[in-house]
Amino acid sequence: MSALELVNIRKRYGSVDTLKGINLSLASGEFLVLLGSSGCGKSTLLNIIAGLAEATEGDVRIGDRSVTGVHPKDRDIAMVFQSYALYPNLSVARNIGFGLEMRRVPAAERAKAVEKTAKMLQIENLLGRRPSELSGGQRQRVAIGRALVRDPKIFLFDEPLSNLDAKLRMETRTELKRLHQMLGTTIVYVTHDQIEAMTLATRIAVMRDGHIEQLASPDEIYNRPATRYVASFVGSPPMNMLDATLVDGTAQIAGSQTVIPLPSSLRSQASRKVIVGIRPENLSLALGDPSKLTIEAKVEVVELTGPELVVTSSIGNQRLTASLPPRSQVTVGSLQRFSIDADGLHVFDAVTEKRIDA
Amino acid sequence: MERRSLAATIFVHLAALLLLAVILAPVLWLFVMSISSTPDLIAKPLHWWPDTVDLSRYGVLLSSVANSAGQAFVASLFNSIKVAGMATIAALIVAIPSAWAVSRTPSVGWSLYAVIATYMLPPVALAVPLYMALSWLGLLNNVFGLALVYLTILAPFTTWLLKSGFDSIPREIESAATMDGARLDQILRIITLPLAAPVMATAALFAFLLAWDEFFYALLFTSDQRAKTLTVAIADLAGGRVSDYGLIATAGVLAALPPLLIGLFMQRALISGLTSGGVKG
Repeated sequence: MSALELVNIRKRYGSVDTLKGINLSLASGEFLVLLGSSGCGKSTLLNIIAGLAEATEGDVRIGDRSVTGVHPKDRDIAMVFQSYALYPNLSVARNIGFGLEMRRVPAAERAKAVEKTAKMLQIENLLGRRPSELSGGQRQRVAIGRALVRDPKIFLFDEPLSNLDAKLRMETRTELKRLHQMLGTTIVYVTHDQIEAMTLATRIAVMRDGHIEQLASPDEIYNRPATRYVASFVGSPPMNMLDATLVDGTAQIAGSQTVIPLPSSLRSQASRKVIVGIRPENLSLALGDPSKLTIEAKVEVVELTGPELVVTSSIGNQRLTASLPPRSQVTVGSLQRFSIDADGLHVFDAVTEKRIDA
Repeated sequence: MERRSLAATIFVHLAALLLLAVILAPVLWLFVMSISSTPDLIAKPLHWWPDTVDLSRYGVLLSSVANSAGQAFVASLFNSIKVAGMATIAALIVAIPSAWAVSRTPSVGWSLYAVIATYMLPPVALAVPLYMALSWLGLLNNVFGLALVYLTILAPFTTWLLKSGFDSIPREIESAATMDGARLDQILRIITLPLAAPVMATAALFAFLLAWDEFFYALLFTSDQRAKTLTVAIADLAGGRVSDYGLIATAGVLAALPPLLIGLFMQRALISGLTSGGVKG
């Protein structure tokens, strides 16, 4: 049984198609992250699942029941908003228990549930306070508690960490992951942060212009991106994208003499314009080992970030970035030979931008 | 605080004192007139401070002897309280739902602008139609009729004010309450209206003052003690062959008291900043 199913969801605002047919099915206990830049329709999709907006076309099914036209409160979902959306005039305890209060749960039972949730989130000493007396991280916990206490079928998170500072964001991210592992709840989580997506998700849906570009596990999204967009969106520093031409099982990098031999699985492909993608961490300094794939580039900028050395160099007029170990010997202005990991080559069709596989 | 030179500090304080004087001088003069005896008031050169303090006019205006100036004044005082109070309450009852609706449905925002546009009409343009309407309803010289007329003045204004108040309350808070299972009336009662309390208090106060100070319509639509309001009653004091300026001043002082008391009372409700903390920040 699927916990959530979206069937051909479309949303039109006037003449603009915000969502162009979204299909996906979520098993119980999954952590789905909707990842995309702003304006890709991910928040609209979340609001449609929540019932705060209605789809122009298509069906939302929660627990095998169509909820099209069903009021948000009757969908058995809870949502954590980007702004937290706590009730400023109510105490933390009443904020958390509000959903139960509205559902006429007896006061004693309510208090017990609120206390249990507060304990789980380590905010039991804040129950008597008002939201204005809390820090950002504490407010975030209250907002999560308000969703948790109702024990819904599906949790919806709308960029819940984007208002926290970097350190707190990391801690809360880990906390969320722990909660998910502990409670085994089904979660739909919207973010534009690829790190959040990679760390939290069991599956990621990369969205672009109202459609899902790729729906897969974080591992697959990272290691086998289906399109050029997915490849460039996930990863930091982003994947190098080199314009090239496919000729006789090799890729000739545009604007240079460099020729990269391709894996045997790609040898039979017809000649055409392609994009060769190489992740910066799949590049390393070539140490005279001729058996490996290598590529030569002119070093322009060297940046030490701490754990790694980011080297920006150029091949012809194209840019190549490499993440190297921090103590690598690289001289600015010199020609440097980089070797490429065998499975570190991604080839995309220049026209369709889709991945080319054997 | 930024550093300021001594001269600048002195200048700022002098400017504040000047502003205070400009605002308070007329009120103070009104009070001095109200306790000056008639010879002091008409003496030449002017006596800035009376030789004898004369409080008799307060007694005159607050007496309840039949057919006295006092009875007329007290009756008009109560009429004013009734009319302004009813109009204010009615204006809030009308304004709260409409302001909320306009705030949460931006696509119908134009309708509020249309209502505000009628506000631009000079009152005299509406005097005749309103008179005929009240006459047809049998509400001339009636506090309910006058309150109804004031409602037409107050409702656009309070709606406008409340809309900006509701606009400042994030919609996400109401969305959260919706998902928590609250009905519309519960959302308004438990969440939105308490958050909008400061702006509602402000709207009520200003509406009351507007109704309290209104003179033109009151003069047209009331004719005796059953409905005459304070502003008209004060004008009546000046209407005879002999004008007792001291008496007019006394009436002015007394007329200023109820709004002043309401203002002091509402001060506690006017404390803003209640919305802070609910959303990011």
